[in-house]
Amino acid sequence: MDFGGTAVTGVHVSCVAALREWFGLEKRPVKVHEPYQMLGWLDEDLKQAMGIDVEGVFPRKTMFGFPNAGWKGWRMPDGLEVLVPEGFVTTVEPSGDILIYPEGDLSAPPSGRMPAGGYFFDSIIRQEPIDEERLNPEDNLEEFTPIAAEDLAHLETESARAAATGRAVIANFGGTAFGDIALVPGPFLKHPKGIRDVAEWYMATRTRRDYIHAVFSRQCEIALDNLERIHHAIGNRVDAVFLCGTDFGTQTSSFCSAATFRELYFPYYQRLNGWVHAHTGWRTFKHSCGSVERFIPAFIEAGFDILNPVQCSAAGMGAEHLKSAYGEMLVFWGGGVDTQRVLPFGTPEEVRAQVLERCEVFARGGGFVFNTIHNIQAGTPVENILAMLEAVREFNGREAIGASHARSSKTI
Amino acid sequence: MPDLRKLYEAILSGDAKSAVAVTREALAENADPLELVSQFMVPAMDEVGKRFECEEYFVPELLISARAMKGALELLRPLLAARGAEPLGRVAIGTVKGDLHDIGKNLVGSLLEGGGFEVIDLGSDVAPEKFVAAVREKGANIVALSALLTVTMPSMKTTIEALRQAGVREGVKVIVGGAPVTEQYAREIGADGYGDNATAAVALARRLMGRQTTEVPSEGAMAIEGHWDVT
Repeated sequence: MDFGGTAVTGVHVSCVAALREWFGLEKRPVKVHEPYQMLGWLDEDLKQAMGIDVEGVFPRKTMFGFPNAGWKGWRMPDGLEVLVPEGFVTTVEPSGDILIYPEGDLSAPPSGRMPAGGYFFDSIIRQEPIDEERLNPEDNLEEFTPIAAEDLAHLETESARAAATGRAVIANFGGTAFGDIALVPGPFLKHPKGIRDVAEWYMATRTRRDYIHAVFSRQCEIALDNLERIHHAIGNRVDAVFLCGTDFGTQTSSFCSAATFRELYFPYYQRLNGWVHAHTGWRTFKHSCGSVERFIPAFIEAGFDILNPVQCSAAGMGAEHLKSAYGEMLVFWGGGVDTQRVLPFGTPEEVRAQVLERCEVFARGGGFVFNTIHNIQAGTPVENILAMLEAVREFNGREAIGASHARSSKTI
Repeated sequence: MPDLRKLYEAILSGDAKSAVAVTREALAENADPLELVSQFMVPAMDEVGKRFECEEYFVPELLISARAMKGALELLRPLLAARGAEPLGRVAIGTVKGDLHDIGKNLVGSLLEGGGFEVIDLGSDVAPEKFVAAVREKGANIVALSALLTVTMPSMKTTIEALRQAGVREGVKVIVGGAPVTEQYAREIGADGYGDNATAAVALARRLMGRQTTEVPSEGAMAIEGHWDVT
């Protein structure tokens, strides 16, 4: 079971705080280690209480370009006290919206906005007017650079720490996602250039395909060099690597045809996966929300080993179908319970029923890492999260958390 | 007079420059703006919608066609207004309070516009009172609510309640959509309809306004029911 191993298998900071309280763990503000989605860090005590089997390795810097270090207090709009990195610099608009700044630099235009009363940030689109004649792929490559010595040293230290826990390790190196729409606006950049508007980028995949190929091609070269250097530094301390989080699916369809996927993305995925499998012991992790059944054969052919978040509620993504059709070739990392309806709005019994059903299907013959379908969202009742954890334990034939919790409470 | 079929084709292929150029040329030769809309632009967007439905087109194609359509419509809008042309309906559209995601909302807005509706785009993170104001002050007869997030979906219910409390609920149709939204949820919160994608939303809006989706013309003969009525 994974929670907190990646930025797409995490837990909103408010839910981490609620879990800590439920388990009776030491009272302290939770660290927000992923400030874009306001994901909370799971400390060792909580990991043990929840029964987590996976450890994550994250890059030195966050989505907003500041280092994940130097913790300070911050208050969420709902009053929850949390810890955020030193570079987490915000201002409040008259409307109550909270703005956050790239690299914590107030002199740069803000790159993220949390609506008044909200729970996380979204990118602010900072798109310079596009002059077709002067568009230069280099402008969309600013964020893809040879890995810096301090970033490499960080990965070395972090991978050693993670491996020492004895858990399975998944690493998030960064720089290997092609056209991930969450990254296109460049929330980590002070003055992003090139195509940074989300709709403009989607249109460019149709109208400026040569430009996109030029970006992907150069990005791929840089990524391959970086992977080589990272592997040289950390070896096989990590078990899996989060290669790409580009979403190809919508709730009912997809963002492009299978033919476009094969022409525009597949060659780069194949190169990265090919290098990883030829030179390392790492398994590769592909995240894509939504209905992606049509792409799964190509994901497999490109060399991906793991699919996440396995959005069973999307068209054509039924658990039984996916397991029967692709279970021999792909690990399902996710799919454990629906986070759009059942987990946040269902009853604990509904949560239990779905978790048990999904475990029955996906764990059959192995190849399953339990996780919710994407991060546990703010506002999810802690009783439902507990029901989910209990159901996983029940499936694994372990003692219920409630029973051991009651016993340890008595002992204390 | 330019070959107006080129307007239809420019929108279908997402060629904004051609769409604008043909429209400009046609207007210079005194083409009827209503005819351009009802006989060429609306049918083109209908065909775009059909291609999206059968997964020949995807989000990028929808976006570029919508951009081409909007480019041409910008030229026609003042002329249509001057003639007192009434749209099929006025839709106040927005992403609900707390939610900043607007791609889905923008697509639905563009397709509604291309389908003959006047669209009042309230943007994203829209407070319930803004929807109320759009109904009261701008005469919206459809309110279209979008949400991408699980955590903001309940704002749809709040918005419908605000419309009710303001006493304007009976006079408008409320349609909802977005990734976490379902038909069942739409019923639970008292919406008038749910669309699971952008083209479904247009069909729904037409149905609610008592109009059926038109047939797409074939081969030059484009005489179809006009969506814009002159009052």
